[in-house]
Amino acid sequence: MNPAVHLDGITKRFPGVVANDDVDLAIERGSVHALLGENGAGKTTLMNVLYGLYRPTEGRVVVDGEPRSFASPRDAIDAGIGMIHQHFMLVDPMTVWENVVLGNEPRTWGGLRVDEAAAREAVVELSDRYGFDVDPDARIEDVSVGVQQRVEILKALYRGAEVLIMDEPTAVLTPQEVEELYDVFEELTEQGKTIIFISHKLGEALSAADEITVLRDGVNVGTVAAGDVTREELAEMMVGREVLMEPATTPREPGNRVLEVTDLRVEDDRGVEAVSGISFELREGEVLGIAGVDGNGQLQLAEAITGMREPSAGSVEYLGESMAGVTRREHIDRGMAFVPEDRHERGLVMSYDLVQNGILGSQHDPPFAAGGRIDWEASAEHAESVIDAYDVRPPNADADAASFSGGNQQKFIVGREFERDPDLVVATHPTRGVDIGSTEFLHDRLLELRAEGKAILLVSSKLDEVQGLSDRLAVIHECEFTGVVDPATVTEEEIGLLMAGETLDDASVSGAAIHDAVDDGLAGSGESDGDADADATREPAADEEVDA
Amino acid sequence: MSRRDGGRLPTPVRRLIEPFVDRTVAERVLISVAAIALSIAVGFAIVLVSGRIAECSAAAWTMPVTGLGFCYDPFEVYAVLFNGALGYPLAVGEPGVFNPSWTPFNLSFGLTLSETTLLIFTGLSVAVAFRAGLFNIGTQGQLVVGALATALTVLALAPLLPAGPVSGVALVVVGTLAGAVGGGLWGAIPGALKAYADANEVITTIMLNFVAANVAYVLVLEVFRAEGSSVVATRYVPEYAQFTPWLFPGSSDFALLALAVGTAFIGALYYLVEHTPFGYDLRTSGVQAAAAEYGGVDAKLTTVRAMTLSGALGGVGGAVWVLMSEGRWIASVPDLGFDGITVSILAGNNPLGVLPAAFLFGILKGGALEIGFRTNVPTELVGVLRGLIILFVAMPEFFRMAGRYAGLGSSGPGGPETTEDDSDGSGDDDGTTDGAVATAEGGETDA
Repeated sequence: MNPAVHLDGITKRFPGVVANDDVDLAIERGSVHALLGENGAGKTTLMNVLYGLYRPTEGRVVVDGEPRSFASPRDAIDAGIGMIHQHFMLVDPMTVWENVVLGNEPRTWGGLRVDEAAAREAVVELSDRYGFDVDPDARIEDVSVGVQQRVEILKALYRGAEVLIMDEPTAVLTPQEVEELYDVFEELTEQGKTIIFISHKLGEALSAADEITVLRDGVNVGTVAAGDVTREELAEMMVGREVLMEPATTPREPGNRVLEVTDLRVEDDRGVEAVSGISFELREGEVLGIAGVDGNGQLQLAEAITGMREPSAGSVEYLGESMAGVTRREHIDRGMAFVPEDRHERGLVMSYDLVQNGILGSQHDPPFAAGGRIDWEASAEHAESVIDAYDVRPPNADADAASFSGGNQQKFIVGREFERDPDLVVATHPTRGVDIGSTEFLHDRLLELRAEGKAILLVSSKLDEVQGLSDRLAVIHECEFTGVVDPATVTEEEIGLLMAGETLDDASVSGAAIHDAVDDGLAGSGESDGDADADATREPAADEEVDA
Repeated sequence: MSRRDGGRLPTPVRRLIEPFVDRTVAERVLISVAAIALSIAVGFAIVLVSGRIAECSAAAWTMPVTGLGFCYDPFEVYAVLFNGALGYPLAVGEPGVFNPSWTPFNLSFGLTLSETTLLIFTGLSVAVAFRAGLFNIGTQGQLVVGALATALTVLALAPLLPAGPVSGVALVVVGTLAGAVGGGLWGAIPGALKAYADANEVITTIMLNFVAANVAYVLVLEVFRAEGSSVVATRYVPEYAQFTPWLFPGSSDFALLALAVGTAFIGALYYLVEHTPFGYDLRTSGVQAAAAEYGGVDAKLTTVRAMTLSGALGGVGGAVWVLMSEGRWIASVPDLGFDGITVSILAGNNPLGVLPAAFLFGILKGGALEIGFRTNVPTELVGVLRGLIILFVAMPEFFRMAGRYAGLGSSGPGGPETTEDDSDGSGDDDGTTDGAVATAEGGETDA
């Protein structure tokens, strides 16, 4: 039998760059195939070729044994290929079924009217066939991200997709939702559909895929069966060298208090409360991790601490001084580094080169500004040192930020902020989009800062990251901390429950840290009212907890 | 799709705009030259057609081969437009031959440079605001207010000082400062409204143009009108308190010193924008407000400062208009502020580009006057030709700016990465069509 999709010697060149170099790839019908690789390995480019967004420079796409040439995604869809992008293309105020049929509505009255009953019926039927638990009449804005993803899958199926391409499908999901997604994969492949998903996470490739193809620098390094390969082997295939999988934290005595947040309330841009009474403190040489699904208030919390957003109530005390009414610039001047969540909107000025981006936030401060002028030479040296130390590629300080890949942009931002000589680092998703090799380096650097006695607030949706690096781990859900736990003893399932808004009952919690926390009145009730949190979090993480 | 991705533009519009977005300076200069050539070609046809329609006793030009006669000679029109604007450095009627009696210090060239000088200030005014992401349509009003402030200040101070060159210099300096202060304050109003009341500066500056024109008119009409004047105008400021038209004939209303001041302003503004922390704040606010805020830029303060600076430049333009061109404030203020918008767009909002852009405008102005003197081509047709050149030259720059504003291209507010806003593994995530465009343009640098 022909493979569902066969990419035959695909080469895709952009001016000056070879994104895919003679890639051969055969994907069996009814299988789940993971496309694994680091940033810039050419995964998405390859899939965009398959989906008709790019035309290959060389090579051909064979679907079901038939060579095809796609001029646009429309052609690919007609050939039974569907792609689900990382960012869903759904119309928020419309219902699930409306979104599914949008653009391909069944019509009556000679094409003048959408046959709503038939459309809804078709969506319900499709949803039932694959066992999707989706309410067809719910509005997109009211359903969870996991459900939205299933709507995207339904959309592709409705258009007759036999092969589903998913770009980083787990990036936005909670661990539980990831499990549900794997179930969906199973259901789909049982009914003969083929799934290709792009990932740079080893774990999910191993647990969800039947076969894994690793791309490195645009070249197919090899295709392996998921059952015959270890994490370490895969990591080596991706990076091209051996990788240390676990960052090594060493226990450390936390020092003086750097940050104290008390009953903080913050509103988002729409005036809706995004942080509802969060309290904690952070000491020198301590990493407080904040885990949670994106959009549960961690962004606004970080903004309020770093002076980007005025809290509506509560206080932030930094180095013993209240930060109420203090300008953003003063926050920077007092030694607060901030790796923002949105690197394209905030962290970098996309039309500036890296020299100019390197002084963002320090443009008024020596050594970059003196006597009312900017010293571009000193700025260039600074940018080059960051590029050098943080392995930003290509090492060209004069290139516009926009021309760098996301991972390299991120490395530059993290480098700029880490090298500010800060007292407090607020890092939101510092390794988002960064490949394993560089992630390892950023983690090491973060731990070095910790060893130097910096206080670090680490917000991340990557569980292994927050768990591995933090001295204490707070889980945020719907604007509140649902728990503060010891990352050394808590299980992924427990964090997942907290992230989903559940609370841990005493029985499921073990370890000295939690007992301490219980004594302080936090986890015992599981209620995350501000005062209880404050007490619990004010307890500095003691060494033995980290040891445990 | 994420927020700003150019996706909100209809596809044909995007196809039209995209090629102009990511261009280097050299390419943009080339595009401008090509645009002038193209506009001349189109204008050529228009002159011919109108020359065929119009009635005249003798044909000004006969087409070879066909023998068709035309009332207007397109070659002559364009020759006079460019040659005449410079005062005929090439002999009339003998193309390619240098005119031996030509000196640069002639009336026509003076008129050209006079217009150039005035537009330098208004062009800079618009450009500075634009760099801060503010669309100052109010340069005209700021110029009107600045000009009145200059005229009144000089008229008030002149009697207190002994007549002579020393007080002349003092009066010109103080008068120019007064213009800057007047225009600056007038510009600060929409700046403050934008910063603290979230009022769109396009709307407020347009409205303040009317307010400025009418308040100034009424003030001069009722209070400061020169006795016995048939027009609404102030008295003339003393001759010694005006820019002296060295070398150039006095009737050209041009002073080299004013042009030198304008050129110095260009250099100063360039330095301010590119090499100072304030300029960095200003530019960053303009291209990416969220990043500026992250970098500690006080958005409100920067808005007010940029508008004040922009207004002050417009005010200086008004001061030069009074002290160089008119010698008094007169109600018929030319549209220098509005032309400044086009000059700025032509200059790509770069202070250094303002000089050639203003010079092109000056040439078109001086050349149009010459065509009126020398040929029977109606002034309306000359206006059309002038408009064509400006339209053709400005359009690519305008597309470029519009495209960036809409987030097309690699370095607009919504660059390629913004389209995907990847939460993981972004290196090769230029997935959507927008990303495809940007990638094809710039290349994924490390893919």
